Amino acid sequence: MGKTTYKRLKGSQSFRQRLLLATLSSTPIIIDEIRADDMIPGLLRHEMSLLRLFETVSDDCVVEVNETGTRLKYKPGIVMGGKNLVHSCALTRSMGYYLEPLLVLGLFGKKPLSIRLKGVTDDPKDLSVDTVRNATLHILKRFGVPSEGLDLKIEARGVAPEGGGEVLLTVPNVQSLTVCTFFFIFFSFLTASYVLSVYISLFQAVQWVEEGMVKKIRGWTFSARVSSDFEHSMRFAARGVFNNLLPDVHIFNDHKSGPHAGKSPGYGISLVAETTAGCYISADTAVSCGRADETGEIDVERQERKPAEDTGVEIASWLLQEIEKGGVVDSTHQGLLFILCALCQQDVSKVRVGTLSPYGVETLRNLKEFLGVTFSFRPDPSTGTVILTCVGSGLINLSRKLS
Amino acid sequence: MAADDLMSSQKSHRTRKSGPTMRKKSEIDKKKRGVADNKQPNPRAFSVRSVVKAKRLKIRAVEKEQRRIHLPTADRTYGEPPPFVVVVQGPPGVGKSLVIKSLVKHFTHQNVPEVRGPITIVQGKKKRIQFVECPNDINGMIDCAKVADLAILLIDGSYGFEMETFEFLNIMQVHGFPKVMGVLTHLDKFKDVKKLRKTKQRLKHRFWTEIYNGAKLFYLSGLIHGKYSQREVLNLSRFISVIKFHPLSWRTSHPYVLADRLEDVTPPEKIQMDKKCDRNITLYGYLRGCNLKKGMKVHIAGVGDYSLAGVTAFPDPCPLPSAAKKKGLRDREKLFYAPMSGIGDLLYDKDAVYININDHLVQYSKTDEVNGEPANKGRGKDVGEDLVKSLQNTKYSVDEKLEKTFINLFGKKTSASSERKLEEDAQSSPEGSDTESSEEFQSGDEVDDHEMDVDSNDGKIKEKTELRGGRLRRKAIFKDEDSDEDGDDDNDDEEAEDAESDGNEDEDEDGEDESVSDSQDSDEDDVEESEDKVLGNISKWKEPLKEKGRKKNPNLMQIVYGASASSATALINENNEISDDEDFFKPKGEHSKNLGGGLDAGHVNSEDCSKFVNYGNLKNWKEKEVCEDIRDRFTTGDWSKAALRNKNSVAGDEGEDDELYGDFEDLETGEKHNDHENMESGTNEDVEAAERRLKKLALRANDKSELEDDDNDNGDGINPRNSEAKEPGFVDKLKEELEIRKQMNLLELNDLDEDTRIDIEGYRTGTYLRLEIHNVPYEMVDFFDPCHPVLIGGIGFGEDSAGYMQARLKKHRWHKKVLKTRDPIIVSIGWRRYQTIPVYAIEDRNGRHRMLKYTPEHMHCLAMFWGPLVPPNTGFVAFQNLSTNQTGFRITATSVVLEYNHQTHIAKKIKLVGHPCKIKKNTAFIKDMFTSDLEIARFEGSSVRTVSGIRGQVKKAGKNMLDNNAQEGIARCTFEDQIKMSDIVFLRAWTPVEVPQFYNPLTTALQPRDKTWTGMKTFRELRSEHNIPIPVNKDSLYKPIERKTKKFNPLVIPKKLQAELPFASKPKNKPARKRPDLDARRAVVMEPEERKAHAIVQHYKLMSKVKINKKKAKEQEKRKAYEAEKAKKEVISKKRNREERRERYRTEDKQKKKMRRGQD
Repeated sequence: MGKTTYKRLKGSQSFRQRLLLATLSSTPIIIDEIRADDMIPGLLRHEMSLLRLFETVSDDCVVEVNETGTRLKYKPGIVMGGKNLVHSCALTRSMGYYLEPLLVLGLFGKKPLSIRLKGVTDDPKDLSVDTVRNATLHILKRFGVPSEGLDLKIEARGVAPEGGGEVLLTVPNVQSLTVCTFFFIFFSFLTASYVLSVYISLFQAVQWVEEGMVKKIRGWTFSARVSSDFEHSMRFAARGVFNNLLPDVHIFNDHKSGPHAGKSPGYGISLVAETTAGCYISADTAVSCGRADETGEIDVERQERKPAEDTGVEIASWLLQEIEKGGVVDSTHQGLLFILCALCQQDVSKVRVGTLSPYGVETLRNLKEFLGVTFSFRPDPSTGTVILTCVGSGLINLSRKLS
Repeated sequence: MAADDLMSSQKSHRTRKSGPTMRKKSEIDKKKRGVADNKQPNPRAFSVRSVVKAKRLKIRAVEKEQRRIHLPTADRTYGEPPPFVVVVQGPPGVGKSLVIKSLVKHFTHQNVPEVRGPITIVQGKKKRIQFVECPNDINGMIDCAKVADLAILLIDGSYGFEMETFEFLNIMQVHGFPKVMGVLTHLDKFKDVKKLRKTKQRLKHRFWTEIYNGAKLFYLSGLIHGKYSQREVLNLSRFISVIKFHPLSWRTSHPYVLADRLEDVTPPEKIQMDKKCDRNITLYGYLRGCNLKKGMKVHIAGVGDYSLAGVTAFPDPCPLPSAAKKKGLRDREKLFYAPMSGIGDLLYDKDAVYININDHLVQYSKTDEVNGEPANKGRGKDVGEDLVKSLQNTKYSVDEKLEKTFINLFGKKTSASSERKLEEDAQSSPEGSDTESSEEFQSGDEVDDHEMDVDSNDGKIKEKTELRGGRLRRKAIFKDEDSDEDGDDDNDDEEAEDAESDGNEDEDEDGEDESVSDSQDSDEDDVEESEDKVLGNISKWKEPLKEKGRKKNPNLMQIVYGASASSATALINENNEISDDEDFFKPKGEHSKNLGGGLDAGHVNSEDCSKFVNYGNLKNWKEKEVCEDIRDRFTTGDWSKAALRNKNSVAGDEGEDDELYGDFEDLETGEKHNDHENMESGTNEDVEAAERRLKKLALRANDKSELEDDDNDNGDGINPRNSEAKEPGFVDKLKEELEIRKQMNLLELNDLDEDTRIDIEGYRTGTYLRLEIHNVPYEMVDFFDPCHPVLIGGIGFGEDSAGYMQARLKKHRWHKKVLKTRDPIIVSIGWRRYQTIPVYAIEDRNGRHRMLKYTPEHMHCLAMFWGPLVPPNTGFVAFQNLSTNQTGFRITATSVVLEYNHQTHIAKKIKLVGHPCKIKKNTAFIKDMFTSDLEIARFEGSSVRTVSGIRGQVKKAGKNMLDNNAQEGIARCTFEDQIKMSDIVFLRAWTPVEVPQFYNPLTTALQPRDKTWTGMKTFRELRSEHNIPIPVNKDSLYKPIERKTKKFNPLVIPKKLQAELPFASKPKNKPARKRPDLDARRAVVMEPEERKAHAIVQHYKLMSKVKINKKKAKEQEKRKAYEAEKAKKEVISKKRNREERRERYRTEDKQKKKMRRGQD
């Protein structure tokens, strides 16, 4: 179709979302001046890896990077999905970095996606795979994503710097997302030859503004190539924090050794609080040897490495902080929540979040730029939360075949 | 006497005593007499005989019921519905315009001189109709079919159906089938009543087979005084008004506008410089389909894809009587709007706009002064002309200005493109400084306000005339600037205006900025002052409103979206403002501190990380007091408080809203927000109640629709819903849910202020929009023809990129020829029309797509083609030729898109032939099959087969196995048996077929409409044009098979072998006999009786033989005579036939010529 017009963007900020939204809305983009003035100019290793991941998942997409890596030309193709895909992620970021866009991308594929990711499973910067599995997937289900076929299997742990972890992600493809108002249950009604799909709504939540009360807290700790004592002390410390508030706290442990433990030693914790309204609020971190930066100097976190008890207390406190902020998701998942809202049918979705995180604000801007979805905000001073309202873009999965 | 005799001779009538007639008669007789039938009807006749059968019947009934039900679709049209499009279609000369004229006359009592462009009329209290006449060419028909809500097919009853009708029907069927109504005209040409009745019957049944049984066919019996009879038009209008329109899936997911006005707004000097420069145009029309967002791309049918440079909502030019409030008695209700047809106040022409003013509304006497002034022009120019000229120059209509003033007053944000207009507003508003006039402004009354330049001797006076309330007021504005000599150069005026209104403009812009940034309070007074200056008294009563408007503008939105405009300091200010009570925006502030203003647009390389962790300021959650803060967020805490948390926020907000909104009327849309709901939902109302309320609303809405549905069903005669009504089924529940959803959306959206609402959901359907589009080819303006509909359709995500599409296609049964692969076809798909090159295929059993050279005759096949993508399940229709003077059926195929892809998987069969050049045991070296070793490598392992059926496999390139100087392309193959040198080896394989990446949009709007669009030609056309014969492959020709008779050598058995053979197998060499053997030689002597008998038999034989011979001769003679007769007859009939045919052809030719002449 003749000339393609590219949307011009600048800088490396919100790289993932730009790629994701460009793919979903099939807008070709050019990103200029990516870290042009930095010590290490151009795209970083994990960003290149993310581009490779997009290439793996989609068909006929064109990626052009100039020599210095400061300019990226991306023309999205069709998201194919498919089985038995493998991608080895760059070790500079953990799996959470790749999973966040991939989860949404997989929903709009031609076929259901099943991909094996290899690399670092947990690190303090990104979502840990435990959190993705126990909180993020639940958020997706809220948007009408069928729960069968939506799964994340952690096959091996791997922490920075060497990685060696492996997860298997399966995401079903959908026709479109439904507004998070109703829970639809599908069951088919068979009459001789005629099948009528019938929806029943349960009115679980009219709109996702109700936070509910935290009814239970679940946690997952892991240790790889270190003694499981670390886990015990983390658990003990974390539970101690919740003692005042809730008795229903259970933290599972997952000690890995041998090939399932990856290549580097480390341990981590992920806590998820589930509320009576079906909200999941999470906090996580992982502790390991710092990875060497591209400049050669070791990351700061190495100096800051704390004893396991402190980590446990810190994450537990962080979770409580998130709960205090309010909202139906924690600050980390705000971006995802907004994206999902914006991808919904052309109905009004209304969500309550705590304080807007910078990432969430970034997301909102990107959504306006790519999908033309504007949110309206209504602060709720009494609880310190914000209620966001938007009309979905009504994006439908064009690539899914007509059956 | 004789007669009596005759009478008596006749038999008297004997009544029947038995038989079916008698039985029937007797029964009737009995019934008449009231005699009870002694025969009891079988009491078990209708009882259940077989349980299985009963069950089956029940299932069938249920199934039938289920089939009737279809999944309800969500209705997302929240605004006032746009006028329904009624397309009047028919072959030329059937009376389309006359029908429209009669209908318009009926509805509005207004004569339409000419039907040009859509005519909008108000039909009832709640309904508007837009009549569109379908042009006679196929492009117009396609565009009409895409927008029609109801199609009225006009059929010339005296002539019968014409192809156009069926073509149009087919086009509609593919693009979602709107409602259809047939109308027979020209029925007065029938003199014979019986024939008329017969024809009606025939046409009706034909119509039914094409659409559905019982489709409405109307009869317009004839003309009275050149018009259809009033009674019949009334009936037709009634049928039009009761028709229900159901949503069509493509249209509900794409916004579209049927433009009823087009204006060229290119700067005139640009046109002067280059007449063929790209133009900027504005298009006006009602928004239909779904909501239109600001950044959307659109496709203008027949022109191409464009992004909207500006969208503005306009007050409805033809509002519903309920929506438009009457201000005075003088106010006539506008019942029609047809800017291009010349009815109504505004006549829109290609290069001018004329305003109709009734004489009694205008006092011309005052204008005489102006007339008295000498005109500089050579040609006589009077004020009317001047006035109209300057009207044309004002560029923006009064409505637009009014629109802007309104927005301005409420402190709303305006787009950059409309700032120009604001400047004008600022200038024009002092004019109507009294309160009354301002009110008139808002109500969107008809106030004609225009400026004109009059060249006078003493410098230049700019004259501003205002036509209001039948009085012409002119205000003279002096200016030093020289105005151009040419009166029609409007841009200069424009500039002049700008310059003149600079003073106001600055202040005004300031005001705008303030209202946008809305941060510094100190300047606000200033602004208000300036606005006061501008608005005079009006601002006084608007003050409270304005303040409210300011307050309700959520600041958070600007922080998030207006990032580039607002500086970091402003951001922090905001934070401080709000975070008095608690640290509401604290993390952001921190963030900006930490990352050095990370929210700024300047920091473009910030890290992409969703987590935002700051462990530094964690509270010590181990302490009990700290924990107490969030105690209620846990199930262990106080449940009532926690419940309050959710409730409070909602209720509190609504309370706030109430305060903000109160009772006010949205003047722009005419909606009245007296917020009964909000009041109801007062302060102490909880979520449940809100839900209940929603449900109630939904139920009410549902009931209404149900009732309407029932009405509909009653028309069909069967109403299965009744049985269902008591017990709500799943579908009903679903419907209710959708309705609740809708109400909820409405509630949410109505909470927002107008500007934010448009930002969030876009322009609602039913709004009258002005779409500005830049850089359109000049041809569009030059060749603009109001009779052709201008369709502007929105493009969804990803629909502007091209790719391969796979479609299920079927040749139309009325198209005579099958379609050939790679022959270009013109498709109409989505909003678009384009030419593309398809490759046809069919899916094999194993899922392979095998290429087809031609489409199957009566079967679906797959078509793969390149073009702009559309979502799966979109139908399209294909043409080969768009010319009007083509006989026959123009639609070649109908189809539906299955999926799209970025590659194709079509394969065709390929058969490679080779010969053995060397044979080992089971291995043979095959030559001639491949040309290179590389090719062999590609085919390694594939199976081959000889003619005699010996199977084998390609192993490897057999270079080294042969002599050193062997040529390339010899493959080593192994077979299941040894093959012969004379064998031929075949390799059957599949080779991928490329689909050409060709896509050529139809630019029919960029050329004269009567010209046929020509695109890529087919092979056949090219060959016939250039006189190139069809290439013939000699090998493909059929030749007579000549087989040599094979001569075999005599069988020779070696002597040695002969000796060993058993006697039976030994060849017996008998020497030839010299004399005949005994059997032949012996004589037969018969007995006398025998001889006698023999003689008799011989006689009989002879006799019969002679008889037969005679008979044969006779028969032959007879046949000869017959043949002769037949030949004679044939000669005669041939002669007659020829004459007949000649006559027929002559008349046909005449007719055709006539038709062609008529069309041209």
